[in-house]
Amino acid sequence: MVLYNAPTNKMHVDEIVDAHVLVVGSGGAGVRAAIEASRYGGVVMVSKTIAGKGGCTTMAEGGYNAVLRDRDSVDVHREDTLKGGAYLNDPALVDALVTEAPERMADLVRWGAVFDVTDECQVAQRPFGGQRFPRTCYAGDRTGHEMIMTLLDRLDATDTHLYQEVSVIDLVKDENGAVAGAIALDRDGEIVLFRADATVLATGGGTQVYDISTNSAAGTGDGFAMGYRAGAELIDMEMVQFHPTGAVYPYDARGRLVTEAVRGEGGILVNARRERFMKRYDPDRMELSTRDVVARAIATEVLEGRGTSRGGVYLDVTHLSAETIESRLPVMLEQFLAFGVDIRREPMEVAPTAHHIMGGLRITPECRTTLPGLFACGEVAGGVHGANRLGGNALAETQVFGKRAGEFAGKAPARSGRLDEGTIDERLRMLEGFFEGAANPADVRKDLKLTMWGQAGIFRNAPDLRTALGHVRRLADQRLCAASTANLLECCTVRNMCTTASLIVRCALLRPENRGAHVRLDAEVATEPATSPFGHTHVSLAREGIERREVPA
Amino acid sequence: MKTITLRVSRFDPAMDTEPHIEEYAVRVNEGARVLHALHAIRDGHDPALAYRYCCGSGQCGSCAVRVDGEPVLACMEEARDGMTVEPLELPVLKDLMVDLEPVIAKIARICPAPDAALPEQEEIEAIKPLRDCIECFCCVSACPALQVTEFAGPTVIRQEMRLALDPRDSGDRITDAIEKGLFYCTTCKRCTEVCPKNIDIPGKAIERLRELANRRGLTLPRHQEVARLIEETGRSVERTQPTFLEQVPEVIEPDGPVRGEVGFFVGCMFNGRVPQTALDAMEVMKRNGIRVIVPHDQVCCGSPLIRTGQTAGVPDLKQKNIEAFTRRGITTVMTICAGCGATLKNDYDTPFAVKDVTEILTEYGIEPPAKLDVRATYHDPCHLLRGQGIRDQPRALLCEGVREFVEMPSQCCGAGGGVRSGVPEEAKALGAKRDEAVKATGADVVVTVCPFCEFHIADCTDVPVKNLVTVLLEGYRKKDAEREGSA
Repeated sequence: MVLYNAPTNKMHVDEIVDAHVLVVGSGGAGVRAAIEASRYGGVVMVSKTIAGKGGCTTMAEGGYNAVLRDRDSVDVHREDTLKGGAYLNDPALVDALVTEAPERMADLVRWGAVFDVTDECQVAQRPFGGQRFPRTCYAGDRTGHEMIMTLLDRLDATDTHLYQEVSVIDLVKDENGAVAGAIALDRDGEIVLFRADATVLATGGGTQVYDISTNSAAGTGDGFAMGYRAGAELIDMEMVQFHPTGAVYPYDARGRLVTEAVRGEGGILVNARRERFMKRYDPDRMELSTRDVVARAIATEVLEGRGTSRGGVYLDVTHLSAETIESRLPVMLEQFLAFGVDIRREPMEVAPTAHHIMGGLRITPECRTTLPGLFACGEVAGGVHGANRLGGNALAETQVFGKRAGEFAGKAPARSGRLDEGTIDERLRMLEGFFEGAANPADVRKDLKLTMWGQAGIFRNAPDLRTALGHVRRLADQRLCAASTANLLECCTVRNMCTTASLIVRCALLRPENRGAHVRLDAEVATEPATSPFGHTHVSLAREGIERREVPA
Repeated sequence: MKTITLRVSRFDPAMDTEPHIEEYAVRVNEGARVLHALHAIRDGHDPALAYRYCCGSGQCGSCAVRVDGEPVLACMEEARDGMTVEPLELPVLKDLMVDLEPVIAKIARICPAPDAALPEQEEIEAIKPLRDCIECFCCVSACPALQVTEFAGPTVIRQEMRLALDPRDSGDRITDAIEKGLFYCTTCKRCTEVCPKNIDIPGKAIERLRELANRRGLTLPRHQEVARLIEETGRSVERTQPTFLEQVPEVIEPDGPVRGEVGFFVGCMFNGRVPQTALDAMEVMKRNGIRVIVPHDQVCCGSPLIRTGQTAGVPDLKQKNIEAFTRRGITTVMTICAGCGATLKNDYDTPFAVKDVTEILTEYGIEPPAKLDVRATYHDPCHLLRGQGIRDQPRALLCEGVREFVEMPSQCCGAGGGVRSGVPEEAKALGAKRDEAVKATGADVVVTVCPFCEFHIADCTDVPVKNLVTVLLEGYRKKDAEREGSA
């Protein structure tokens, strides 16, 4: 055990960086925002990982939804998205998504992306769940990786200044209450202050707050927490998508994503009794039903004793030819082979895993949050996907709204107010406090993840949620301990995870109905998605609640 | 849960002058990966342990480390009791974290032409195998050329070829690749061996770019000389002495009963430069009852042309060689040159089986020779170990022939890929590293089964270098002498 040496000096800002636009996050949305914003002025992009390696874009396997064929239409894409989202989506955001996804796809292709193409030299498309047309564009099963490599190529052609392995820990505001930049820690725990006219939050999601999650280690909900602390309003945070198919073993790899493309290519789900159980849950769409339906079906099979001994069901592609599996699902083949399963010959074992947070900062179609000076895009923003996201819509979202956030942040006027030194000092004192703390952040993280999985998972009820909220609050109150300056970040991250978790649970308590991914076993009101009287849940420092809406006749 | 012990390289630039190893005992789950063992150290022993990780599923390339010397992704490699975890062989920032920014900066970015159209399916299919790279830099850590030259690294050249294949790109990738060290690659395939995505960088990028360079007249002058020689004589080696083919009949009958029959592909080095070793091999075959058929109309296999991108004449060579053996009804062709063997196996589509001499001898089983009273080490020829996947057979045969066998870490000697002729100073520097490795074993003799390695290592060390077949033949001669002595 290394003894920690309390620094004798007070924490202080080591470096100040000025930019017109500050982009926080280096996933698909962040890089796209930086590319666009760089047309309007100096851009600084801050990435807590090496750019391109963090976030979930690079891990996204299946695809990117865009209407590219005459037989398809943006109206159908819009309807699919709204229906899939249980009509909780913000229609204006959906409009932007379906209308602009094809244009943003064209950008990627123009910038060098290597998507699969058809014999006729069109971008190839595969079927994905909940969609009436096969409109999911792909690059094998490494679609997101292809996108991020292309975006980084493009970013390199701009004047964007990139800060890698520098982690934003909080937003800073000016005297007028506008967001004016952010405060960050570098790899060694040195403090960097970024000042900007406009700030774009593109920090991605946060399902790492769950014990079983597909997210990369970076998916700790930092943006939700930082936005909330700065005073922004978040909506629909209870809407957490559990992807139906995550790996079940080995233990440490549980939750690892098994792409929807497996089902898109024809994979079938069977329980331990070898029954193709989806016929009982959605006989029309079967395996290609929406993710919320398939995830609940699998969870129900397991809960009712028809699962495997490891608590999963089988996902089988052995009826496909080896060539199809090798060319269409190479990453899946490789990953399962590494764990001793040859998916060409034997079925995969899968179970639901926390995948995507549909909720997030409330934005306008221009990606403006409720705070002046702050923009948000990608998974950290809410409203695009409603109560359930269609597979393939997230990658499209990163590009459509990344571009929009970059454009409107780029067009933002120069900021005039003075920086609020008080909040900066407050953050420095918080960091100093971590040297005096007692709780091991690793223990708090583990406890939090188990609590969320146990009491705020796929099936919810008010007593469990209240227990979870109490526990999460106690965890949030623990005085975390940093073993060295390089460990300060870990304390900040665990703090963000606690905040994100509490936002999810609070919103889950606010919504009394079953809607999309949100299932309240104790729901007293039965609602139909299209006619539900409930709108967004919302939560901020100032207020929380659930919106009522006009019920269509 | 189980307890494992692992050793981890620690280095804090603020405190240490050089890295040191620390040992930890940690509890991990069954099936835990190296990454989970590192998490267990961080969470239970030392929160300050510095290492990178992100996706946890082999897709982002953040977590590459060396485990027992081999570069791997920590999130995919299973944790083993007793393993040693070290950073990649790149400048270390702290503990297992290395400085990646300089090498990332060397990877070329696409420069799309404004009027660029979507590539066609065929072009996409050609690019895809080169696009799987997750920039983990295992290959950069493992590449021998990087130890002694300014080579930018395998994945950097991979990207040049990916761009060269893309009709949208407007950059000059050939010139770029040459500046980044295209001709420094020995085609040892170490990069492919350590690549988590199994990208064949030498075959799919290096040799292809050298081909494109050749079309622009940018092949190295020494390589052009070799191509001229092959064109004029069918051989890559000048005749300076009676060749092997001039000294042997078409059929070499064994001493005793015939146990088997093989065709023999001799290769230019054994034919022209070191024919005695090939003659030794024939003696070993005779002794072990294997009839050898030697078509005298065989020519160079084309390897020197393929490795250096001068492929125009290769189809003709292939046709001549395939006909030379099929005309005589030969079903198994034996090679004793690792380079020829790898070429016939990987670059040809032969109607007959191709086997290395060590495979043939292992399959038939050999008469035990008398053990030579020496301590021997073995140098793995790249084109045998990685080119043909042959590791155990030569070791087993060698153990039969010597008093003591001692292992030596495997690394390219520097002779391959046209480097010995094209970039002699690099070949010399890599050869010097082999000399150090040989000396460290304390061996009396270095044994190998590739004429290029044999010839080159002999130039670089004062320890005697011998071909495996020569060692076996000497063992038989010793055995015979001992019998005569006792008779």
